[in-house]
Parts: sequence; structure tokens; C-alpha cells
Amino acid sequence: MVGLDYFVVESTEDGADNYNKIATSVLQDHKLLSIVEALHIYIDPAYPLFVATGLIRPPRAAIRVSDVGNVLVQDGKATIAVGDETYLAVMLKVLWNRLGHDNVDQPDRFTVTISNVEIPTDIEDWEVTDPAESLFKDLIYAVQVIAPEGFKVRRENYGSGRFFYAASENTLPADDVDRIIAKRFVIMEGALR
Amino acid sequence: MILVPVTYKGGVYRLDEVIDYIEDMGGYIVQRHNIASEVVLQMLMPQDDIERLREFSRPLAGEVQASPLVGTEIVVVVPSLEIHHLPHSACDVAEYLRSHGSKSNILGMARGFGKRIAQLNDEERDLINEHDLAIYVLGNFASCIEKKFPKLRRSITVPIILTGGVSRDQLAKQTDPPVEGYVGGLGRFMHRTQTEADIHRLDLVIEEVERVISEKRAEISHDPLSVSPARIQDMIKQEIPEIEEVYSPSPIAVQLTGLRVKLAYAEYAQRIRDLVIEDGIMIGDVADVLPSRLRNYILIRIKPLSETNIVV
Repeated sequence: MVGLDYFVVESTEDGADNYNKIATSVLQDHKLLSIVEALHIYIDPAYPLFVATGLIRPPRAAIRVSDVGNVLVQDGKATIAVGDETYLAVMLKVLWNRLGHDNVDQPDRFTVTISNVEIPTDIEDWEVTDPAESLFKDLIYAVQVIAPEGFKVRRENYGSGRFFYAASENTLPADDVDRIIAKRFVIMEGALR
Repeated sequence: MILVPVTYKGGVYRLDEVIDYIEDMGGYIVQRHNIASEVVLQMLMPQDDIERLREFSRPLAGEVQASPLVGTEIVVVVPSLEIHHLPHSACDVAEYLRSHGSKSNILGMARGFGKRIAQLNDEERDLINEHDLAIYVLGNFASCIEKKFPKLRRSITVPIILTGGVSRDQLAKQTDPPVEGYVGGLGRFMHRTQTEADIHRLDLVIEEVERVISEKRAEISHDPLSVSPARIQDMIKQEIPEIEEVYSPSPIAVQLTGLRVKLAYAEYAQRIRDLVIEDGIMIGDVADVLPSRLRNYILIRIKPLSETNIVV
């Protein structure tokens, strides 16, 4: 898969090719191709069991006010010339919460002004949002879409740049699942070395 | 008189003359689509007059072509209406059927997902049986199709075309589902069908559907219907003006052996039964006017000649 350093769909029955396409489309649609470094999907339709294990690249750093626009402080007033609108709404919310709704204004689409209040010296470094916080939810949601529907019994975990997702419509055989997950991580990490 | 499904494509210039000609020949327009300056008429025409219509419309640059799916209502059955199956696997198939003249509906089952837990409820069963044919779009593994399909086809009386991810040969090694047709390579997928290979698979579905519908039409011709569904559609349009106020894209869906009328059963069923076709023969004499399981609509089932001894 384009963008991933390792991508394998393993199945105990013919039909894995289709899951290859499904996973590619879903990760592409959810804009996760640049985040996921490696993905190994294991499918056993007989049990049935679906396991996805993956490694992710170091998440993007937190978005700060200076990432949204240039801050100019003059005559006790600050003007933010918005360069990237993606996080503008979130930044406005942060400024309103910390400086007061009456003191923060947006006279036009690309300008935010702060007045009637002492301008904090470190305002440029204020954190607007941390994309890594929602990454786990996005990733698990995407894997849920890849997995067959109706696999309501599931286990998922995320941390230290790794994630796994195991699901079935039956109870999950804990030992087998742990073994499958551990083995796939070993294979993945070996391939990337 | 055998009515054959055909499509007319042409411009708006002298279209009224074309429509008059079709009606004079004893044809019925089942559905009309205006696409920019082009008009598509889906109709049922007497077989002997199709060539005459072709000649009549030639100077107007109109095209007449056979469309076996006109006058059919087909249901595309998917395990659920979740993102796993929508929009692509279900909608793309339904849309392609529509572009070939059929009226298609999508039925997402309440609990059709999973292998062990899949089930079909009575409402879904009845809804599927109200159609001319059902297309089941299932998953990518033969073992899943083997386990869940018998549950999903229980008590279904209409012909079924099955689609799945595995090829026909692979499926045959595992199971042999009792269906009228199977198309492989069309299981669960999450991308838009736009490549040549994708379109080819959709064409295979259409081929299978056309084959089954043609067989069904041939079967019906051995014991013809007491009245053509298209004729009843025409009568309802003329006699019940309220049908013009129905905002559904096709207020009357014509089927092979009946119609679905999108009017409230309680208010309109008796009025429809009492409509006189000719010589005092009413619709109620040659057809069953039943409540549909689809909302509060009306389902008309036309009886065959052998049951009524009437052909009008």
C-alpha cells in the first residue's frame, strides 16, 4: 500500500485480496496513510476472528497559535493574521476561554484581534490542539470499518507507537489472540528492521 | 398482444408526436426521464410495432433499444445499512440497475451482519417477496456465504442473484447455494466502482438479471396475465389524480406481474378495485389489491388467465 512501509493481509481462506483493497480505501478516506507505518491484518473466517496490528509514525507535534497565524503585538493590542484556517475555530475557542469572549474579535475571515486585556508574552506558544489525542479514536474507527460488520466482541489497545484491534462475533479466545498479536508484531518489526 | 420492454432516447423536438405514436400503437410509457435536452422513455410496446416506432423516430434522431429490465422492480439486499456496505457495494449495484431501466430498491437488513448471528425477520422476508427479483450482495469469504446465506434466503420465493467476493469456482468448491445466478468479485468493497474491471462486474450482474427476467417473462407468457400492469398504471394515472401529488420518483412502480402504488392503502384500495377496465370488468376482478409491507402503500398482484378466464 502506498505510504505504508509494511502492509500484509493474511487470511486462512481465499479472499484476502479484497481486504487489501478495503484497507487501502479506508485508510486513504480517513487520511491515515501518512500516520500508519505498518499494518498486519489477520483474518480467520472459520472462527471467525479479525485481528489488526500496526505501528504508527511519531504523531505530529501539538498545534500552537503561531501555527495558525502570525502574531503582531502593537500598542497593547495583538493581531493574528490567519494563515491556516484548519484550526481557526479551535484557536478562537481557546482564546475566548482564556482571554474572555469580549476581548477577542474576528473582524474578517483572516484576522483575529485581541484588545482591552494585557497580551500574554507567550501567546504564540499557546497550544491550540494536539492531533495525537484524537489519533487513537480515528485509527480504531478506521479499523472497525475495515473489519467485517457484526464483530461486536472486541479488544483494542494503543500506546508506544503500536496498536492492535481484535474482534469476533464469538467470545475472543484470549490466549490465541495474544499469541497472534505478539507474533504479528514480531513479524512486522522484523520486516521494518 | 405481447408487450416488450424498450427504451426510447431522443430530443424534445416533436417528442409529443413520438408519445402519441407510442400510445396509438398500444404502448405504455412506464417512466419518463428528462435529462437536459434529452428525454428517455421507458415503455412497454407491442412486439410487432417496435420496428415501426424505430422507423418513425429515425428522422428525429431517436434511438429505440430493447431493455429487458424496464417494468421490473428489483431489490438489492445488503446485510445492513452501515458504512461497511454503503454507499458503494449497495448503491453502485442499485444505481446500475436503475440505469438499465429497472426500478431498484435497497434493503438493509436489521440483523443481516455476522456469520453466526445473521438473521432475516418477517418484514424483510415479505418486502423481498414483493419484488420481481432479489440481488444479495454478500461478503468476501466462501465460508461466510455458506453459513449465512441459507438463513437469509429462508422463505424467499422470488429469484435470487447472489454476489460475493470469491469467484464462482472457489465458491463451488465450498458450497452450491440454490440461486438463479452468481457473480464473483463483487463482495464487500469500500471504493467507487469506476474502473473498467468494476464496471465489467456490474455488467455481469445485469447479464444475470436480464437472463432471469427474460426466463420469467417467457414463463408468464405460457399463462398470460389477465391485464398488463402497464395498462393498470395508465388507468390509475387517469382515474386517480391524487397520484400526481405523490413526490416519490416513481409514484407507481411497474412489476412483472403487478404494481406498487404509492398511495395509502386504507384510502385508495377500494377505489382502485372499483376502477373499470372495460366491459364492466373491474381491477378487483382480475387482480388482488393488497396492503404492501413498504410503508402504507398498495400492492397489486394481477391474476393469470388460468385463474380468471379473462384477458383485457
